[in-house]
Amino acid sequence: MKIKTIIIVFLLLSFYLPNQQLELPGDDFVDDWKKNGPLRQFTGSALYNYINGGSELFLEFGFKELLLQKYRKGEDEVSIEAYQMESPESALGIYLMKCGKETPIPEISIRNTGDQYQFMMVKGDYFVLVNNFTAKESLLPVMIKLANITIDRIIDKKPAELFSILPKQQLIEGSELLIRGPYSLQTIYTFGQGDILLLRKKIFGVAGDYKDEKGKIYTRIIIKYPDKAYANKAFNHLFSNLDPYIKILSKDNNSFTFKDYQKKIGIVSLKNNILHIKI
Amino acid sequence: MGNHSYRSMEFNNLIDRREFLKISGGISSMIGAGLILGTPSLWAQEQTKQVPPQPPKTNLDGALKVPKTKYSLPGPFPGRVVEVHDSAAMVNDKVNADIVNAMFEKGITNLTGKNLEESFRLFFEKDDVVGIKVNPVGAGFISTHLEVVDAIIAWLRKGGIPAENIIIWDRFDYMLKDAGFTPEHYPGIGIEGLQTMDEEAASGKRKDNSRWLTKEGKHVSTDNFDKDVYYWVDVEGPKDLAYLNQHVFNGKYSYFGKLLTKKLSKIINAAVFKNTGNGISMAAKNIGYGSICNTNRLHRPLFFNVCTEVMAFPVIRDKLVLNITDGLRAQYEGGPMPAPKYAYYYNTLFFATDPFALDMICHNLIIQKRKEMGIKVNEHPAYTAYLRLAERLDLGIASPEKIKHIKI
Repeated sequence: MKIKTIIIVFLLLSFYLPNQQLELPGDDFVDDWKKNGPLRQFTGSALYNYINGGSELFLEFGFKELLLQKYRKGEDEVSIEAYQMESPESALGIYLMKCGKETPIPEISIRNTGDQYQFMMVKGDYFVLVNNFTAKESLLPVMIKLANITIDRIIDKKPAELFSILPKQQLIEGSELLIRGPYSLQTIYTFGQGDILLLRKKIFGVAGDYKDEKGKIYTRIIIKYPDKAYANKAFNHLFSNLDPYIKILSKDNNSFTFKDYQKKIGIVSLKNNILHIKI
Repeated sequence: MGNHSYRSMEFNNLIDRREFLKISGGISSMIGAGLILGTPSLWAQEQTKQVPPQPPKTNLDGALKVPKTKYSLPGPFPGRVVEVHDSAAMVNDKVNADIVNAMFEKGITNLTGKNLEESFRLFFEKDDVVGIKVNPVGAGFISTHLEVVDAIIAWLRKGGIPAENIIIWDRFDYMLKDAGFTPEHYPGIGIEGLQTMDEEAASGKRKDNSRWLTKEGKHVSTDNFDKDVYYWVDVEGPKDLAYLNQHVFNGKYSYFGKLLTKKLSKIINAAVFKNTGNGISMAAKNIGYGSICNTNRLHRPLFFNVCTEVMAFPVIRDKLVLNITDGLRAQYEGGPMPAPKYAYYYNTLFFATDPFALDMICHNLIIQKRKEMGIKVNEHPAYTAYLRLAERLDLGIASPEKIKHIKI
């Protein structure tokens, strides 16, 4: 009977815990640091009320909820922002869009980048920021403590291996990005307006920069669509709605080449359900 | 990130946010597997060929018919941009006010070719009421520095403008306070926001809307906007309360603040050197999105062109006499939100009467910086189309070969 109860409780917990709200650190998480103001919470499209247009990218990657808490001790203030995304891949996608060249804080065990102003971290479904806009280096231990207490409370789930479809040869380390719609794509390139690659905020594409033998940098974007028919539809949609600044040089059933406003040559090719773009 | 609402501009004219959410909501409600949810065959029912978007109708033509005055944009120095640099201006988060004052003098005098006193007379009369439009977004980190505003005020006061005829303004009142623009720091100087917004109600933290909504269902800042002076665009603002809280009105009219239409006779634009996505959030955007209400509806259909079109209205065109872009601390990525990782001490101030030439120079400088720092750069012409529109409307210069960029 006892074992049965334990199993039921375990099963209930395993279902319940992933959906439970993350609890951010409270008063006195270190020394005499106290919460400064109430916990602020933004769910779904309410994120517009916090970062307005900046929220488009988060929503594209599957934003669910933001928890924000400020802390104060005397004149000093730090804050934490925990963005819950719909999956580890979504959290990684937004992290890669934001992190730039990574400069990890060694005292933080998960993937992160940071300095005395701000830490960015990704774990499971969460993208987490710790802020210290005064940039006082003396607050670094406080930031580290705040970060570590918080990330210890986040369930660790690994993202699926999305980047395996990117060729490794000539890939510039750290240049990998995920795309999932027009907002993430436009960071890289403008092929046209709207969701030109028909990613629908559901299909992940991968991108990376490459350096050829002559030192020339180019970018690959690779998208694995759910099936060949949909990939074909996306290919046709792209071709039919190309940006007016893009001029087609050649085309066959499964590929086309183009020249853009900077006279850059690009190639788009479709093989089964995978779209390859090189620019 | 900071604690306020920010605006970013991106190039997605065809996708309506609500429609987008509706589509994704529908898809995610289906049972899917792995990383791709939904049933792709359902999506295939859609038309492949999109209809090219037509910009919505506006009342811009009416504004353009109003004859220009001697103060109209692009002012007496079209295409002339002065860049003043001093590496000691801001060090370790501290701004050296004396150095900023010296930079200010160099900037103004090199722009006009006259001394400060003569320059003052070029732009102002003693009975002017001068508004200084600051950018408080990213308060205290990437907002307009107080020392830059101090230098502007000192110049105006020396020229004979009384303190009560100088008004520091922005669209949102609470942001001004957070960025340090307080009566304690600026005794006697006016500090005005065109509107308020209840942040707690906007964040969903408080259900009670009484702080911003009257019993009659109007925003408390309704009367701060001039119903007779407006930018009309054939696009409806969303009807929900959250939008109304932030935007005061939600129809097809973006009214100009009465501060601009009734009170100010001259405007100085004190923007900040920072990006917004692949574009910049500097001189044109500081005024274009800061002078009117009901703006979010305009982002997608008009993109940056909103800035140019708003500045074509006489209420701005004939009053905006000087633009100073504060690059003491600059930010090349992550903007317009404060992103310390991408901020740097640029220790540079820019001066121009022509905000569009100024933005073209700054756009190119930020692109250069982004490339140097290994940031992905999308140089699509759409991100500078608003500057070329300004040149076509005779409001400024955008052609690089016609711009005179002076470095001090």
